[in-house]
Amino acid sequence: MTRTKVDPITLQVIRGAMETIAEEMAHVLFRMSFSSIIRESEDLGAGLFDRDFNTLCESESTPMHIGSIPGYLNGIRESLDDGQWFDGDVVVHNHPYFGSSHTPDLAIVIPIFHDGELVGYSANTAHHIDIGAATPGLIIDVPDVYAEGMLFAGTKLYRKGERNDTMWNYIRRNSRAARQLVDDIEAQIASARLGVKRFKELLDRYGKDLVFSACNQLMDYSETMLRQRISAIPNGEYRAEGWLDDDGRNRGQRLPVKVCVRVIDDRIEVDLTGSAPQTPTAYNVPFEGSTKVAAFAAFRKLLLDTATSPTRVPSNQGSFRPISVIAPLGTIFNPKAPAAAEARFTQCNFMIDLILKAMAPVLPDEIIAGSSASISFASYAGVKPDGNYWVFLEVNEGAYGGRPRSDGPDAIDNLMANTRNNPLEDLAMHIPMICDRYELRDDVAPGAGRFRGGIGVVKAQRILTDGIITHESERHTNVPWGIFGGKSGALGKCDIYNIAGGEVREMPSKFHGLAVKANDVMAYYSPCGGGYGSPLERDPKKVLDDVLDGFCSAEDAADVYGVVLDLEAETVDLAATEKRRLQIEAA
Amino acid sequence: MARIGVDVGGTNTDLILECDKGIFFHKVPSTPKDQSIAVIRGVQEICDIAGIAKEAVSLIAHGTTVATNITIEHNGAEVGMLTTKGFRDILHIGRHKRPHNFSLHFDVPWQSNPLVKRRNRIAISERILPPTGEVSVAMDEAEVRAACALFRKRGIKSVCVGFLFSFLNDAHEKRAREIVLEEIPDAYVSISSEVANVIREYERFSTVAMNAYVGPKSALYLRNLEEKVQAAGIPAKLRVIQSNGGISTIDGCAKKPVGILLSGPAGGVIGALAEARLAGIENILTNDIGGTSADISTIAGGRIRIKNPRDTLVSGHAVMAPMIDLETIGAGGGSIAYLDAAGGFHVGPRSAGSEPGPACYGRGGTEPTVTDAQVVLGRMDADKFLGGDLPLDPALSHKAIKDKIADPMGISVTEAALGIIKVVNNNMALTMRANSVARGYDPREFSLMPFGGAGPFHGVALAELVSAKDVLVPLAPGITAAMGLLCTNLQYEHIRSVITNLFTATQAQMDKVNAVIETLVAAGNVDLDADAIPAPDRRFEVIAEVRYHGQGFELRVPIPGGTLTEANRTEVIAAFHARHTADYGYAFDDALVELYNIRVIATAAAPHLQLPAVPKGTQADVPASLLYTRETVFDDGSTHQTPRYDRTKLGAGVTVDGPAILIQHNSTTLLPPTYRAEVLTYGSLRIAKI
Repeated sequence: MTRTKVDPITLQVIRGAMETIAEEMAHVLFRMSFSSIIRESEDLGAGLFDRDFNTLCESESTPMHIGSIPGYLNGIRESLDDGQWFDGDVVVHNHPYFGSSHTPDLAIVIPIFHDGELVGYSANTAHHIDIGAATPGLIIDVPDVYAEGMLFAGTKLYRKGERNDTMWNYIRRNSRAARQLVDDIEAQIASARLGVKRFKELLDRYGKDLVFSACNQLMDYSETMLRQRISAIPNGEYRAEGWLDDDGRNRGQRLPVKVCVRVIDDRIEVDLTGSAPQTPTAYNVPFEGSTKVAAFAAFRKLLLDTATSPTRVPSNQGSFRPISVIAPLGTIFNPKAPAAAEARFTQCNFMIDLILKAMAPVLPDEIIAGSSASISFASYAGVKPDGNYWVFLEVNEGAYGGRPRSDGPDAIDNLMANTRNNPLEDLAMHIPMICDRYELRDDVAPGAGRFRGGIGVVKAQRILTDGIITHESERHTNVPWGIFGGKSGALGKCDIYNIAGGEVREMPSKFHGLAVKANDVMAYYSPCGGGYGSPLERDPKKVLDDVLDGFCSAEDAADVYGVVLDLEAETVDLAATEKRRLQIEAA
Repeated sequence: MARIGVDVGGTNTDLILECDKGIFFHKVPSTPKDQSIAVIRGVQEICDIAGIAKEAVSLIAHGTTVATNITIEHNGAEVGMLTTKGFRDILHIGRHKRPHNFSLHFDVPWQSNPLVKRRNRIAISERILPPTGEVSVAMDEAEVRAACALFRKRGIKSVCVGFLFSFLNDAHEKRAREIVLEEIPDAYVSISSEVANVIREYERFSTVAMNAYVGPKSALYLRNLEEKVQAAGIPAKLRVIQSNGGISTIDGCAKKPVGILLSGPAGGVIGALAEARLAGIENILTNDIGGTSADISTIAGGRIRIKNPRDTLVSGHAVMAPMIDLETIGAGGGSIAYLDAAGGFHVGPRSAGSEPGPACYGRGGTEPTVTDAQVVLGRMDADKFLGGDLPLDPALSHKAIKDKIADPMGISVTEAALGIIKVVNNNMALTMRANSVARGYDPREFSLMPFGGAGPFHGVALAELVSAKDVLVPLAPGITAAMGLLCTNLQYEHIRSVITNLFTATQAQMDKVNAVIETLVAAGNVDLDADAIPAPDRRFEVIAEVRYHGQGFELRVPIPGGTLTEANRTEVIAAFHARHTADYGYAFDDALVELYNIRVIATAAAPHLQLPAVPKGTQADVPASLLYTRETVFDDGSTHQTPRYDRTKLGAGVTVDGPAILIQHNSTTLLPPTYRAEVLTYGSLRIAKI
């Protein structure tokens, strides 16, 4: 293909068209889909890719999906039915040892042929609620990858435009939520077909050479923007470490995570050597589809912050190129087959939290204090009177660490997660569950600081029939850190109890396939973020606001923040505050 | 008898007056601190211009940004909220999704600028249970009274009530309102089951909180305006255009100001549609281009589309109020062109606004804008801007583009100016495509209607980019929105969730749905009673909001005859499949089709603006209307000695071939080579390829 130099004006035109295609693909997928994890939570990604699997554009949906599809495409190359692509093929793929992010995230890939030649791929990924794993919904304590359910590798659902009914029937027979699985796959296919159609229109309009030259320039552009930011950081090795609670089976055995960020001129190496060996459960992270994706995302957030950058950098392969990732084979961030690797999210989020901590000495105005850096991913399931299952997956939010110029946001999806919650009313009208409490935590305080940490959430979900719960979370033992004088945040916790009374069971952060009784409640408390800077430097007016809003106790206002309040008049005594702060500093 | 439309914009308040003597236009500077001052002044002046007594004015239809501005400036009421115990922070959590994927320093609007501060969100013991709405915990009235005592102490006069599952049973919300009014008799009280009686707690609570937040000030403004109109001796009825394009009474809007958050842009869409109808056109893509932003909408078959309530955000807050489906993007005459650190070329969304404004305004702006590009390309005549009211300095435009774009890119100033136009047009075209093609419409069957002062500069280029059939330039592009105000009907909407599987619905379930329809129709009748609309003039549209069971998004289909029956049930199902296929390219099977909400739209036709036909002209009008000829650069880069014609002197049926520029007060139409403009019967211009 000839490479033409595309002028900046045409380039901007092509860029806009590509971004619109990706957004349209995502829009069709989440509007059409049935399971709440896709339609409400938008746990999906969609985009276009060239013949060499470079991401040309991707939707702004959930970060964990963004950047994962090239891994799938590489895996499909090694496993494709027929060994080759035909016009009209549709492939489903989810094998974690062939590049997938994790097994529930099925990719649908359609090749794009233009004038008889394969020029690229239209693809998307979406989280499905049940693919026939050992237990409904999520899994943690399983022996190997074969317990994760159906494994697809380069499997054609359509071949040359003809539907492979045998495969569809097989899928329908192997899921506890077959209807939703099959209909959601249809939604994915509709989305990918739209991508093919739109990209062909673009090729017809501008010509193949111009479009691909423009795409290459856009990737170079994103790469250049990121390299410029990296170059501004002093060369060196920046390290941080911490631990994960356990692997979901071996209680009390903490799993170390070590991060070393090497800044080498205009590139970065993230070295995870020294982190825990791979676990015997599903608490491992597929390297290509998840570990690398998380590292890429960390630096996009840190160095190309979309809220503070005057210009937006396109979401494409260029933003991945300056980052390389090292994780020795056989470790938690790069497991060997046949280890299971379905429960991989919290490790990714914690790795990003540690990267931010590692960079604190050189990027104090860009990094933030420790976040919840966890996720709460719960599956609730039961058997209906007709013998069919109902399955519901829920992502619970976390909280951010305090930031150089503002408080950490409260009760919001953290770092790699960015889903939407399920309306409680909609949920209760459709499945045998009801929510008893959903509000900010008031049992603990967030990390105090000049800018305080975000406040976590408490969500108490009651199941109205006997059922099964699996829960994947973290940070029951490892509190989010404060930074530059900020205080620590608060640990997460999870209780199970029956509304009729009796024992309150304090659960570990991960548990798998727990049988529960009707009217059992799972109450999840997400961790609170750490503070940024000394609490004695916090604007006393903000402390008053926090006390009035119940975000800070009157005692903490006096003892931690050194702020003297008149709560009846709802005012600050500034003179007394100044005096008190001097006293605390001197002590 | 005279009728007046008054549209309040950021800079100007536009007026149109229709009476026996004809149609008159006027413009006065807006008075942002109290919009009513300019409104009253404008009304009085336009009466003088028309030579009629103000006593002859029977109707004033008003488009206002007063509620919108409260949300932008964050200066609404201090609000108190009563909500269900255990769920105090639904408004603080929202849908727990960040506005940015890749950011650490993002803002969370519903937390940094809450509609109700947490200290004023008081949790009340009460519980209503799904799916029937039975009361499992009775409301603790003492707690409600205690909350009111706190509100009194804090001087809070605006109170909203949002209880969980109130869409199933509104008894607690209604009782809470009674108590609040006993405790704080002058309180402005909003309850969620009245403001937005639909399932999904965050969206419902956010809507009622928004109502409480903008309510007192909006109501004060509207009632104050009404008093001033009366005090000025004008006997007119005052009506306000709502976000859904219908007009409502002062009383209705004062109670439910969430309905007028998009009052401003709604008038433009209605006005465009009215002129399209006169031209015999039913399918239009509208683009209202102002200084900072462009409002884009698609109208198919002469019907205005309402946005899916799931997409209606106002200043970052969910608001479940019917709004015309329009997209606003940061593209307009003031949009700034710049190069970033890696050489990327951008136009907007940052805008020079009116202060300092484009470089050519000579008010200190040094960054090049779209307007500067038009000046450099010889399309906007510096000495004729706003009829010569505001002379422009082309040298400043030239310098800004040269310094900031052309020199760094190593291209000529003309090439850079063309690039600015190309990118801004492309940004708008992408949004127009997303608003049309992406929703299953074929733009080749649509006419593109550009308006707003800057619109007709871009019309032909946009039509080419989106493959529209042709371009229709309204009679007075600068005041299309004001004209729209005299083209609306009275409109009231009522909605309730009533979840029913349509495929398996029994007669008993359908009876329940029909009972809901009856209740909503009765509510619509109450509204129309207040307007003294005779029964034969009332229209009721009954809409089913339907989805496949399990989906999160509903689509609208009409219920034929307004009653759900065994006979029309299958029609509703089929219509939904067809709608889903049109929107997403795929339909699922009957067993999944679920009715979610019933919406009843009560309307009463009002007299519409009667534009007179333009006198028939001859081709001799063309030379007669020639103002002068100057050099102009067109989008293809070609330069032509281009005649300027006074558009107002061209009679109906006259055609002008490009290259040409048609000038009128407040707007300029660019007619490129190979295009022909034809003056239609009612004065709009149709532009098509020769």
